[in-house]
Amino acid sequence: MKRIITPLIALASIALLVAGCSAASPTSSAPVSGGNLVYATGDAEPTCLDPHVGGNYPQALVATQYLESLVSKNKAGDIIPWLATKWSESKNGLSWDFTLRNDVKFTDGTPLTADAVAANIAHLQDPATGSSTGYLALAKVTGVTAVDQHTARITLSTPDSALLDSLSQPWLAIESPTALKRSQDVNCQSPVGTGPFIVKKWDRQQSITLVRNDDYNSPPADAAHKGKAYLASIEWRFLPDSASRYAALQAGTVDVIDNVQPDTIVAAKSSKNILQIDAPRPGASNRIELNSSIAPFDDERVREAFIRSANVNDAIKSLFFGTAKRSYSALSSVEALGVSEPKLFSYDQKAAAKLLDDAGWTQKDANGYRIKDGKLLELDFPVSTNQSIPAEQSLFEQLQATAKEAGFKVNLQPLDLSSWYTVLGKNQYNLVSAPYTKVGPDVLRILFDSDGTKPAPSGYFANHAQVKDPALDTLLVQAGEVSDPAQRALLYKKAQEIVLGGYYILPLYDQQNHYLLRSQVKGLRAMPTVSTPTLYDTWLQH
Amino acid sequence: MAAALIGEAPPRSRRRRRWLPWLLLRLGGVVFVLWAVATVTFFAIRLIPGDPAEAILGGPGSQTSAEALAQVRAEYGLDQPLFFQYLHYLGRLLVGDLGRSYALHDSVLNVIAQNLGGTLLLAVVSLIVASLIALALAAWSTRGGRVAASIGSLLEIVAAAVPHFWLAISLILLFSSVLGWLPPVSVPGPVGLVLPVLTLALPLSGFLGQVMRESMLDAMASPFVLSARARGESENDVFWLHALRHAAIPAIGLAGWAFGALISGAVVVETIFARPGLGRSLLSAVQQRDVPLVIGVVIVVALAYMLVTTLTDLADRLVDPRLRVDAR
Repeated sequence: MKRIITPLIALASIALLVAGCSAASPTSSAPVSGGNLVYATGDAEPTCLDPHVGGNYPQALVATQYLESLVSKNKAGDIIPWLATKWSESKNGLSWDFTLRNDVKFTDGTPLTADAVAANIAHLQDPATGSSTGYLALAKVTGVTAVDQHTARITLSTPDSALLDSLSQPWLAIESPTALKRSQDVNCQSPVGTGPFIVKKWDRQQSITLVRNDDYNSPPADAAHKGKAYLASIEWRFLPDSASRYAALQAGTVDVIDNVQPDTIVAAKSSKNILQIDAPRPGASNRIELNSSIAPFDDERVREAFIRSANVNDAIKSLFFGTAKRSYSALSSVEALGVSEPKLFSYDQKAAAKLLDDAGWTQKDANGYRIKDGKLLELDFPVSTNQSIPAEQSLFEQLQATAKEAGFKVNLQPLDLSSWYTVLGKNQYNLVSAPYTKVGPDVLRILFDSDGTKPAPSGYFANHAQVKDPALDTLLVQAGEVSDPAQRALLYKKAQEIVLGGYYILPLYDQQNHYLLRSQVKGLRAMPTVSTPTLYDTWLQH
Repeated sequence: MAAALIGEAPPRSRRRRRWLPWLLLRLGGVVFVLWAVATVTFFAIRLIPGDPAEAILGGPGSQTSAEALAQVRAEYGLDQPLFFQYLHYLGRLLVGDLGRSYALHDSVLNVIAQNLGGTLLLAVVSLIVASLIALALAAWSTRGGRVAASIGSLLEIVAAAVPHFWLAISLILLFSSVLGWLPPVSVPGPVGLVLPVLTLALPLSGFLGQVMRESMLDAMASPFVLSARARGESENDVFWLHALRHAAIPAIGLAGWAFGALISGAVVVETIFARPGLGRSLLSAVQQRDVPLVIGVVIVVALAYMLVTTLTDLADRLVDPRLRVDAR
């Protein structure tokens, strides 16, 4: 379906060009207060507006408007004050003291105190909450005590170098302890935070109405202004179809859209009325993971052969039209500690052929696929159609074609999310691509520690490459505990070299995250934490 | 006309006896179909991969802790054998309790009540518009000579062959992106209904038009038309009074089917135009393995479908006296 839409959009944009877009030259002037902004999201509608429950990206997107965290990050990647003004780690690394702002109130009037922080951590760690992302991030946290009314002490079982990164994420935002005492159904409907907007109404399948918090006083340290937000209200609409989302932006029915596809970005570039924000998500890069636990990828030579046979650069160029930059790293380009190794991933069919010969895959069948001991060199590649955008699915098809030249038979299996997880849980895959968003390099521990190969009770596991390397495990544990920044960087560098050098993954590009906005929308930026848009500084030019 | 019809019908008592078994059979059929629909849906959605407990905890693949999963399984009775869960579900269904949606944290009845209106409005308006277009097309191509006939049949085939999603996107591009006349996504009020209705009505009008034209042509060539002409009735009277009535019978018979097609089309249309409705609820419920909501929506759609087929049967009897005389 989307393949048909692509040329149609192109056609429409050409038609628009020919028609001549009305050119409203954006001039910078003083921010205007008031107005209603319509944000159209292509992400799934959250099932609960409290990101403590579950904890996925659609929740983070909208929660950024009404919930706030203890700390944030600036563009340079440094942790900056938000609800906490100061923090310090104890000498043994087993406790952290956070000094809270003493003038902040939740929108239900409850004051922000150390007890409120304790109630939030307890809420996240309570199995009844059903938190996944927040729960995992707090794995080392044993409890919170109030040193005084505005100083919260977080105690840990082992030192946690990722604690600040974790606390900066919207899934660990601080909510009103009074509101958290309500039933989960009520709290899911109208969570209460300290943010610049307040959840007023949620019409399922349609929109969430947010109104301005007129008493707001707690922007993060890198915000452009102080005091309450400019916008009087936000209508947060759910528009699942990407073509109609863009059409709605062009028509002015909506002001901002997310989940913008490469062809749409290109089409929008020619329009003076539409601006783009490119905000790659943090954590892991988008990559293809090679399952090293079963044949044929239990042989490193075969893994390298597959990677050498993949002409990723040409595929990205032809399918993403310059909207995505090639990655050679396990981490997103926004991660300061990411290591990039372009040489390991150069396209080289000759090298691929030689590696396969060396590994014993010397015979070929009539189609040119390699055979060893009567077995075909076959790779199962389940593709999640929920997580891989159409351009990415086409990219996999192109890699299937270049891998064929080397003698690999790649079986692409498009699956819906549930079926896809089931196939992974049964270890019936050789190749897979799964996004993972998290702030900081600690994502490496989740993706490559041998613990990550053991399925959770739900069948979920994150180490899809099934890397089981004791040396790597040790490095990741050390890096997760050490507080010296230089030493931490070195440990993560070594860890990434093992992952990249072992040909466990084929990096593709950053996790794409593009927003399009009408030129009347001013002051919109993506949070440097998980790249969700914040509408606090945003205003509408008339 | 009504008096003449009653005059032709059998005496009252006999007629009542004929209607009663018909009605009982219908009701029995309704109960059986509802049971079958609930049963098949219940087991079918369990056959596809995915854990309902995860659906409750924030969707497939959620990295949920063991404790949370165990808690939810116990709370929703998911730790019990499947057949026991089925009996339990059936028991609650008998007293009209459709359960609670896993993903929406709301009662299924509430969710359906909120969404039924939007879908019904869309379906009914589309059915009316489709019938009008089909009628106009069929009348024109029947009476307009050979050229009109070929153009008419071509239009019908093209309309019937167009997939909903393609039509929807094309209409959006034409009417909102290029011409700027209509909003590309649903807005409150009749303006927001135009494009979704056109998307559903155009393909349907192709099907209906084909059937209507065939029966109109048949009727125009039949002896009673010949005799009407021989009586000196004008060509207009012959067409509108005699042929049209014949053309309506197969079209009414198709209405039940058309309603089904509209509901399945609503899944696509409601998603593309971001209209709240049962189709969109069903799609997201299936994706999230939200068992109670899927079964609830399917049951409501089945009920509506049976209601429509019953109504079309009755309408057939009204239009075609032969059915009434032969009625069992």
